[in-house]
Amino acid sequence: MKCLPVLGFVLLSFVAHAQSVTLPPSERVVLDNGVVLILNEKDDVPLVYIDLLIRGGALGDPDGKDGVSSLLASLLEKGAGERGSAEFAETVAAVGGRLSTSANRENINVWGNFLSRDTDLMIELIADMLMRPALDADEFERLRARQIDVIRSAKDSDFGRLMPIYAEAFLFGDHAYAASVSGSESSLEAIRHQDVLDYYEQQVGADRMIVAVSGDFDAANMRASLEAAFGEWRPASAELPQAEATAPQVGTRVLLIDKPDATQTYFWIGNVGVARSYPQRADLNLANTVFGGRFTSMLNTALRVESGLTYGARSRLSRNLKPGSLGISSYTETSSTVEAIDMALGVLATFHAEGVGEEMLESAKNYIMGQFPDNLETGSQLADTFAQIEFYGLDSGYIDGYGEAIAAATTESVAAVIDAVYPKEDDLVFVLLGNAEQIRESVQKYGPVTEVSITEPSFAIAQSLDESPDESSGD
Amino acid sequence: MSTPFIAELSRRNVFKVAFVYIVGAALLYWLAVVAGTQLELPWWFPRLVGILFVVGFVPALIFAWVYEITPYGLKKAVDVDQTQSIVFKTGQKLNASLAVLVVLAAVAMIADRLLPELAVVEPPPFVFDAPTGPNVPEEIRSFTLDNGLKIIVWPDHDIPNVVMYNFVRVGGRNEYPGITGLSHFFEHMMFNGSSNLEPGEFDRIMEAAGGANNAYTSNDVTVYQDWFPKSAIRTIFELEADRLDNLAFDPDVVESERGVVQSERRSSVDDDNSGLLYEQVMASAYLAHPYRYPVLGWPSDIENWTVEDLEDFHRTYYAPNNCVMVFTGDVTPEEIYSLAEEFFAGIPAEDPPKAVTTVEPEQLGVRRLLIESPTQTPLLHIAFHAGRASDPETLAMNMLLEIIVGGDSSRLHRLLVEELEIATYVGAFHHEGFDPSTVYFYLGLRSGVDPARAESELFAALDAIVAEGVTEAELDKARNIMLADFWRAMATIDGKASALGDFEVFHGSYERLFDRSDAVDAVSTEDLRTAAADVFRINNATIGVLQAAAQEGKE
Repeated sequence: MKCLPVLGFVLLSFVAHAQSVTLPPSERVVLDNGVVLILNEKDDVPLVYIDLLIRGGALGDPDGKDGVSSLLASLLEKGAGERGSAEFAETVAAVGGRLSTSANRENINVWGNFLSRDTDLMIELIADMLMRPALDADEFERLRARQIDVIRSAKDSDFGRLMPIYAEAFLFGDHAYAASVSGSESSLEAIRHQDVLDYYEQQVGADRMIVAVSGDFDAANMRASLEAAFGEWRPASAELPQAEATAPQVGTRVLLIDKPDATQTYFWIGNVGVARSYPQRADLNLANTVFGGRFTSMLNTALRVESGLTYGARSRLSRNLKPGSLGISSYTETSSTVEAIDMALGVLATFHAEGVGEEMLESAKNYIMGQFPDNLETGSQLADTFAQIEFYGLDSGYIDGYGEAIAAATTESVAAVIDAVYPKEDDLVFVLLGNAEQIRESVQKYGPVTEVSITEPSFAIAQSLDESPDESSGD
Repeated sequence: MSTPFIAELSRRNVFKVAFVYIVGAALLYWLAVVAGTQLELPWWFPRLVGILFVVGFVPALIFAWVYEITPYGLKKAVDVDQTQSIVFKTGQKLNASLAVLVVLAAVAMIADRLLPELAVVEPPPFVFDAPTGPNVPEEIRSFTLDNGLKIIVWPDHDIPNVVMYNFVRVGGRNEYPGITGLSHFFEHMMFNGSSNLEPGEFDRIMEAAGGANNAYTSNDVTVYQDWFPKSAIRTIFELEADRLDNLAFDPDVVESERGVVQSERRSSVDDDNSGLLYEQVMASAYLAHPYRYPVLGWPSDIENWTVEDLEDFHRTYYAPNNCVMVFTGDVTPEEIYSLAEEFFAGIPAEDPPKAVTTVEPEQLGVRRLLIESPTQTPLLHIAFHAGRASDPETLAMNMLLEIIVGGDSSRLHRLLVEELEIATYVGAFHHEGFDPSTVYFYLGLRSGVDPARAESELFAALDAIVAEGVTEAELDKARNIMLADFWRAMATIDGKASALGDFEVFHGSYERLFDRSDAVDAVSTEDLRTAAADVFRINNATIGVLQAAAQEGKE
């Protein structure tokens, strides 16, 4: 009964609302020793958030010792200043605080969230962690052994976590972005306590630290506290490690990871994408939203909604200081592996051939801008955003100008980005995890196959020597 | 095109009839709107008038073409002797009518602009329930439509967005063999088409308007979530009302969606040891109560339920009186009220669903199960029967769990992960449902560790709490964690919507959310010890182990 009026209204209401979202005011201070402070007052809830980055991250891991920075990050929490490991954890929890550390590809992150009344304690704990960590040898051994079992456990049944590791290892080969940030069973075996001490001395220091805070505090007091805490800290002793930019791979090749008892094949198909500083970010985000970035995307529509082959299919870009990976990921029952992969490749071909139509572009614009404010709602999100902007050398225009850039995109500008960024079907890297016996033969049509067992203790793939693609043939 | 044809159209006054029809219809539609409001006719009355006019347009033109007015009455145009035709006179009459109608329409437009207060009766006054509790934010409003749909609104204008949660009181506990998993499957079908919208249209319309959506199904409820810019609010109401009222089941889509759910099941159960063990432990912990059924359903049921099952399910459970909706964000209670009246008030209430009356009998002794699977790292899961969400002891149990497994300082993490190094992680949660449910412990063990050892260490730690209780410092810690977590939830409109709905549905009123802080302060160490003693008994436990089949000698 409501059919006609409802649809009529729905259609009429599709006017693009390029709702502008802007960053709230903040104060940026650079201390004499290089520490960058960014402060943003926000008093909707009595909480304070801190997001702290140390440049370098896994890029600073020595060869063959993937996971040093990750172990160091964990070890920072295991005792610092006057407090032992247990007491440190107890102090955080006793006031309802949260504190976590992690290593990423290009930085180490310390994240904290406390009730405002405990702001001083939060700064004290984080300053202790970074400047006066215990870095205890026994704690190191415990963490290292446990981390090996964490990886084994993922190999038992957490393929979603493993796939990006295998994908980047195989895609990037010898490049620094191939390394597993959290290490592998074999690289963790090789790491010694001294490696972590060396990393701390060489790669952790004031000259490469960004501290972003957002929440219910007085900016002047916060600034004074952070200056007092970090103002005298030493710089790191070694050069900041940098990755080289790498060009997309030419040709196709396939990695098949054998997990004999898997009931589905988990797959990733992609190539090298773009860096965070890629100038046509709005066009690219529009393109990816349409291709594989939302529920009604082309990929999810084909592989899930229309065929029921999978619970989900999507495309993701990892944008680092230098170009990272860009890939399609999904999974399907072992017997439908080829059907699903062929379908994904078909969607990629259609995407290249047809681009994004006018109506679809309008929909993607509305979607991106409609969801955008949700990303800048909390102190945690704001602190993270400020820290990322600083880390990647961007400016407030990254947020404030985004709505305008989205609004300005046209079907032509998006088509140009699709052509420039998304790989063609002749240049693709395939990573498949599943029951190799069932699919070994049938996936050969995608390219030369390198097969490894999931129990192989390293993620580094010995590129099949006889078949390594000719890298010098270039573009 | 043929000019003679157009000339003939003109001669037979078809164009004039069209003009008169359009202007006349617009005028009558306006009158219908005014009359509808004045006389409080149903909301669909003016729409019906509008639709009739639209539908009648083409027939009217055909009529004008085919028939001609003659002095002898209405005759088919082809039968009229052209020399006797009076179409010219009729045309003049039409011209005059058109002029009169245009004048009337102009008057109507002016009246509509100048005299809106005279033309429109005030809608019935909004009957809001303002909060009564002392700690409840005073801007929250709630109301219940005549069909039983309860709506809670919490305005928050921090960002220009809105969140909607629709809590439907149906989940795994409403299922039985043959339709296990139907609640969850139904959740998928709620995105898959109505009598108005093709499969897929729901999501396309919502995303094109800037919104995103999702849903989850538990043993107790099915919850639908929309996140959208303020500008999309009307679209959201249209979409939500449409799928509540007009859901349809395309047999092809039903078949295809079975494949989607089987894929979801393979990744989260068959290829996930933890999901697999959880399913088996829950199925063993309950003999009688339907909490024993996996939310995703048993595979054979996923293959076999029918479109009729789905239709029955929709009629029974997706009635407005079985739902609670929450809106938070950049809205006012007034606009939600008037949209709700417009879109939801016409959906009929249904008889309340049949109550779930099965009570799980007392467990008479420990239950054990073993899954052998090629795994490097064994798993240990333990389920204890405990209370329901609304029981007073539930808060004490939740605080106790913070002390036992909440973070790196918790008792079990310290013991099993850091000191004994027999686990990579340990966690626990209280499944808070309508009926008495479980406190569930899950441990990932280090490779080579005997699960029996982990079990005895875990029970020794729990026994110590039953015997000696917890310290005041630990209780204070739990209080602070709950206080900080409350504020973390309040930091987003999503967290607010989720929490309000949760308390409304499981604790009887959203207002209870704001009593939480006082309630937390009132809990004593003795309350925690009692909660531990009631639940952590070996005869109340179902213990599941997943490990590789024994091959070589042990250890």
